[in-house]
Amino acid sequence: MNELFKVFAFLKRNSLLLTHDEYRAGHVGFHCCNSRRLKNIRGYLVNIWSNETLQKKMGKKYKTISFNEPQNFLDYWDGFPEVYFDNKRDWISASTPEPTRATKDGLSIDESWTLGDGPFLFDKVENKSDQFKSNHLKVNERQILPVSRPEKKICKIIQFFKRNNSLAEKEFKNEFLKSYNKLFLNIPNIIGLTVNFQDKNIDAAVNDFFPKNAWCFSDEGKKERKFFSELWDGITEIYVNNSEDFINGVLKLSKEKSFNELQEKLFSSLWYVEVDENLIVLPNRKPLPDYYYR
Amino acid sequence: MFKVFGFVKKNNNLSHDDYRAGHAGYHNSFGRRLKNIRGYILNVRSNRDLVKDYKNSEIIREISLNEPKNFDNQWNGFGQLMFDDYYDYINAKQATLDKAGPGGLELDQMVAKVGDDFNHLYSGSPFQFNVDETIISPVIRPEKKLFKIIQFIKKKNDVNPILYSSYLKGKYCSIFSDIKGLKGLIINQRTSLDVMTNFFKPDAECFSNRGIKRREKFYDCWDTIIEYWFLNYENFFKGRFDKKLLTYINNFEDKYFEKSFYREVDETVAVMPKRNISTDFYHR
Repeated sequence: MNELFKVFAFLKRNSLLLTHDEYRAGHVGFHCCNSRRLKNIRGYLVNIWSNETLQKKMGKKYKTISFNEPQNFLDYWDGFPEVYFDNKRDWISASTPEPTRATKDGLSIDESWTLGDGPFLFDKVENKSDQFKSNHLKVNERQILPVSRPEKKICKIIQFFKRNNSLAEKEFKNEFLKSYNKLFLNIPNIIGLTVNFQDKNIDAAVNDFFPKNAWCFSDEGKKERKFFSELWDGITEIYVNNSEDFINGVLKLSKEKSFNELQEKLFSSLWYVEVDENLIVLPNRKPLPDYYYR
Repeated sequence: MFKVFGFVKKNNNLSHDDYRAGHAGYHNSFGRRLKNIRGYILNVRSNRDLVKDYKNSEIIREISLNEPKNFDNQWNGFGQLMFDDYYDYINAKQATLDKAGPGGLELDQMVAKVGDDFNHLYSGSPFQFNVDETIISPVIRPEKKLFKIIQFIKKKNDVNPILYSSYLKGKYCSIFSDIKGLKGLIINQRTSLDVMTNFFKPDAECFSNRGIKRREKFYDCWDTIIEYWFLNYENFFKGRFDKKLLTYINNFEDKYFEKSFYREVDETVAVMPKRNISTDFYHR
């Protein structure tokens, strides 16, 4: 299997124009209609936080599985796409037009292709009508249990974690992967488990992707992106058949003293968000075929 | 679920690979936004020939029965649409409120026309029909391109259709569900339900004498489609040609099938089928 270039893009909706549910439709509908045609895209998922939060589902018990969650964390974003490319070169050239539209002249470039809905859909940059704020972050992925999707809406839980500073990064990753992460495989009906460590360079996904005058490179952009990226060091994607399976599984784990001690040792903060995963392009980790494929 | 297949022949202006790009690219991008769609799969005929392009695969000839001549001239790919019911299907093509604009969400008229590329992507109308689906082994998709095989079957005229259906779902397909590497097996039996009226325009080619003739010729080749998903081609060839299984299967096929033949297709999951209850928000 290929190691893929993976980018998360945390996006807040344009709250002056759209509700959270309207944002869903705009992102998964029209926006993805265009972005799924990005050149050489190898996988594309859009995760949108669920209308009923895990806190609400779990009540007081949620506190037993999380600690030091940033306040109002969901105010910073409504959704985050995850995109996969073979390498950085493909990622930065993804907007290169490709002929994918049948016309009277044969296969042609679609002149109506646009990502121009961005500022209406996402958090528009003040005084810049063509720009929106985003937190594009490259992540380095480890598949603990490769995802296998059934033909149904699955439950996806995102675990955000921040490393305890008392542990060196190497030691943290070793223990995380060796001792901690695999414990989640005990969750009933788990169908996928992927860990993503945030790349140390917060510009790894935006350099050469956005133009030099883009918001992300402005003083405000740098400051806001740094703040958001420092809220967490990594993300675990936990795929289960339904939220009850996750809740039962994680509560069982949290009753074990050794589990809690390990979490306290590893993390300075840890929290969970349930998301609705929209599958835009099923990730294909096999080599790219020599024809157009999604 | 209410499931509709649409077999299409590419427009003469396009090569087979051009057609792929036009269908999996532009066209699917609009099709996946159809109102209340619950699943949308595109299968494009593979560039590989099952008989010639795999090691020892000429054995495919042995298990093919009366394959129609030039069958592939009639199609290049087929889409599978899934809805909760017929009503949702027939009302799917409408302007959709899923585009962010200066006034909030706006209606996009292009969804009602599914990209408005029919005349340039296809040659004539799709052969569009409803299928009665039986899931023998639920499909599980890993994050890699699967090896997907389509088996076209036509039952013998003198075989009772109820018995045929029962045996097909029972002793025929259940024997395949144990093949190593099988990731899904679904039987689709074509029904006579009219799913073209009110879906295509009244002047569409499918309602013309030429269109009816073209479609009837195609339908005469088969009445059942079995979809098989495998992790890789080795699983298919090794499993399907197991000697013990082969003897049993050959006897069955000789008795009940008039025609049976196979094609490899490349599957695009434009909307992952959702077989559970639909959400009260926009979801794909």
